[in-house]
Parts: sequence; C-alpha cells; structure tokens
Amino acid sequence: MKIECTIDGKRLSFSLNSNKPLSLVLQENCDYTTINAHCRGKNCGLCLVLLDNMPVLSCMVPAFEIHGKTITTFESFLRIKYFNRKLNDIEKAYEDLGIRPCDDCYTSRTILFDYLTDIIIAKNNEQPSFDSGAEPFNVESLVKEMSIIKCTCMDLHDVRQILNRIRIIREKRIGRRS
Amino acid sequence: MVEGLNSPNIHTPKTLSEYGNIMLHNTNTSLWAGGTYIMTRPDVYPSRATGTDNIIYLGEIEELHRFQRNDRVAEFGAMVPLYQMATSGKGVLPKILVSNIESIGCSIITRRATIGGALCTPDMTTSIPGTLIALSSNVEMKIVKKKRLHSRWAPISRLVDKNGRFQLPPKALLSRVRIAINQPSYQKFFCTKDFMSKPEDSVAIAFVADWEQDILQNARLVITLPKSGICFSRDIDNIFTALRFPLEDSEYDSIYNVLFAFISSSFQISPLQKAIIRSFVGTVVEELNRKALTMPISEN
Repeated sequence: MKIECTIDGKRLSFSLNSNKPLSLVLQENCDYTTINAHCRGKNCGLCLVLLDNMPVLSCMVPAFEIHGKTITTFESFLRIKYFNRKLNDIEKAYEDLGIRPCDDCYTSRTILFDYLTDIIIAKNNEQPSFDSGAEPFNVESLVKEMSIIKCTCMDLHDVRQILNRIRIIREKRIGRRS
Repeated sequence: MVEGLNSPNIHTPKTLSEYGNIMLHNTNTSLWAGGTYIMTRPDVYPSRATGTDNIIYLGEIEELHRFQRNDRVAEFGAMVPLYQMATSGKGVLPKILVSNIESIGCSIITRRATIGGALCTPDMTTSIPGTLIALSSNVEMKIVKKKRLHSRWAPISRLVDKNGRFQLPPKALLSRVRIAINQPSYQKFFCTKDFMSKPEDSVAIAFVADWEQDILQNARLVITLPKSGICFSRDIDNIFTALRFPLEDSEYDSIYNVLFAFISSSFQISPLQKAIIRSFVGTVVEELNRKALTMPISEN
C-alpha cells in the first residue's frame, strides 16, 4: 500500500504493509533511533508520538491510518525551532529540580510532559478566575495520564514538581514574548 | 522488514451504503474501529492476524460518529470514542458507565477506543458490554441481506450467546448504541486495574437497582469475566430484588452461596476472581445496610 504522510516536517511516501504498526515504520523505514521500543501493543508507553498533535502510542497505529496525517516524533523537538524552544523549557525544569527521566523513557516522558503542560496552560487561560497555581489535573487523573508510561524511574511527586516547573518556565517565556 | 507480504486491502467507506456495497463484493473481510484491541494482539504483524484479505476501516463513516440525546435516551454512533462519551455525557449518562470508561485507562487510550469496538472484541470480553447490559441498553445493527442493508434494534442482553459472549449476527455491523439516561438510585461499578493485561484474574462487576424505602427493586447484577464471558441472569437479579435491608450475616451468606452456585455452574472462575466478587457483594450489602440503618425514622 502506498502511504504519504508528513513526519517531523518532511513529506514522505512509503510502500508499506497496510497493517504495519507506526512504531515499526519509524524504526525500520525512517531509521529513527528515538523510538526505542516495539512492545507489540503491550502499552509500555515508550513509543509515544504526536499524530496530528495528539499523543498516541505508535505501536497501536496501523500504517493505513497515517495516510495524509502529520506525525511528530522526538526528532522534531531536537530539530524544529518551535519544538526546540519547548524542549528547552522542559530541560530547564529537569535541571532546576535535579530530576530526569531515565534514558529508556526520556523521549516519551518529555513528549507527555509537553502535552500535559500545554493542557494546563490552556485551562488556565480559558478560566481567568482559575488560580494559576492550582492544578487542573487532580492527583487521580494525573496518575492515570502518567500511567501510560510503565517505566518506574519517577514517582508522582516528581511528576507534579516537573509539570509545575515547566508551566512556570513556559508561562514566563510566553509572557516575555507577548 | 516484511513489506509486500500478506498486506490486507484497506477499504475506507464514507457512508453506510458504501459499506454495504463493499460487504457485497468482498468476502473474508474484517472490520476495524479504533484498533486498540487488534493492535495489542501478539501476532498482528507481520502474520495474518486479522485473518482476512480485506480490512474495512470504519473511521471515515460520518453516520457512525454522531451522537444525540433527548429527555430519555442518549444515542451514540459506534465510532464515538469512549473519551468523548465520558466527557460529553458526564452530566447525563449513568454514573457507572462513566466510571467504567474512566477505569479503562488514560485519555491516550480512551481517545482511540470506540464504543462499537469495545462491544465487538472477538475473543475476549471488555468491561463495557456488562455495564450496558446492567443499564438495559440497546444496539442498532446493519445487516447485509439480499443485497440490501437492513437495520434492526435489539437489547444487548439478547445478543449474548449461551457461552456469555457478545455475538452479532453474521455480516452485521453495530452502528448505534442507545442508553437510557435515567440514573438508578443505587449503582455501583468495580473493575480490576489490569482487566486487559491479566484477563485470567480480572473481573468487572456492574450493579444497579432502585432503592425504595429500605427495599431493593429492579436489581440487575452483571459480572464480566474477560476470558469466560458475561454472567447475568434473571435468577441472580431475583435474589437481590425485593430484599429488605439491613441484612443479617446468615442472609448475606445464603445470597453469596446461591450466586456462586450459579456462576460456577456456567463459567470457569479463578479463586482470585471469586474473592473479588465476594468482596464486591460484601461492600454492596454493607453500604445498603448502612443506608437502611441511617435513614430518617419518618422514612422507615
């Protein structure tokens, strides 16, 4: 099956098995090294990518579903300016707090932190009366959202600290720009 | 890399009539909704795990994405994601359905999983059909018959075969799910965390009833054992219906014994599943006992 899609800003065309998982397409057809797992749908959470700006587990997306869509992997965070700025915020938060995800889950966790921070900031902007210090995710829903990554290198306390730190750094940056 | 081997043809109908045409002209087809179940099968790629030469992807059929509600019922197209059901229906849908959807996992999974897919998983039962049976929900099926697409509504409980599996008629497509939006006055749902990953020891239980004075009416208990199937019966419901609370310990023990005699006669059940069901029934009885004992005297 011929599939055309945009991966990390590049328009690509492949001839693929129609039910090949996206995680294997990225590893085998694009030689991406930042996707380091193919758990065959066991939800290890280490193959997280953005499909049309929504996070998905790439091992659960068949090739025929990516036709005409935009895929953003961690490579975008390294190469594209817009994402690189976001990565800098996250890196700064890791540095400030002295907490870092392990090498296995670094890419997936970073994408997930970025996505959750964007939701938190959007919710703060939607509701001006909403106390900006309050968390739109209660503990239970945060545990649920983070449970997609099975790696145990971070606990909930670390996650909350990091999310809060990224939010502060990002809001400051956006505030400076505007 | 195994490109070119066993690559199924993908059909992406835009309407239900297009779907009907594809079904008429192709044999050996399999339907693809969100893919969350199919993609977790160990042999999905590169083998012929789907067992077919043709995959019909339902994601682009607009009719299957609609949802609407009136005063009495909410209707969801089969391709409505569970996340959308839980968020848009949070205020109106019965609480046990919302908590069932929330128990499935994070939004990354529930955004892809669809209500139709959750009902029609082939060799394993998810927790959703049990809850919908407890809520007396109905489904609409589109069946290809005599070169035409026919439509039929049926209660979900009627589509469960004698082995406890949800089964659609051959060549049928589940197109809509209709859920009554009245809230039963007592409802409780429980599901073990690793329902999909450890099916042998997992169990989901949905219980609804109307609580009038200190008596249970219209009770419905549905137990889902992912490997064995869905367990429900009018006999079980009758055990709970017309019970007057608070219950004595001996009454609780006899309920438990009758319940397990019924389940064990038709389903294989592990000791852990047995313990979970016992604890659930115990919690329900305890809660209703407390409710009966703390009622104002004028109501008693």
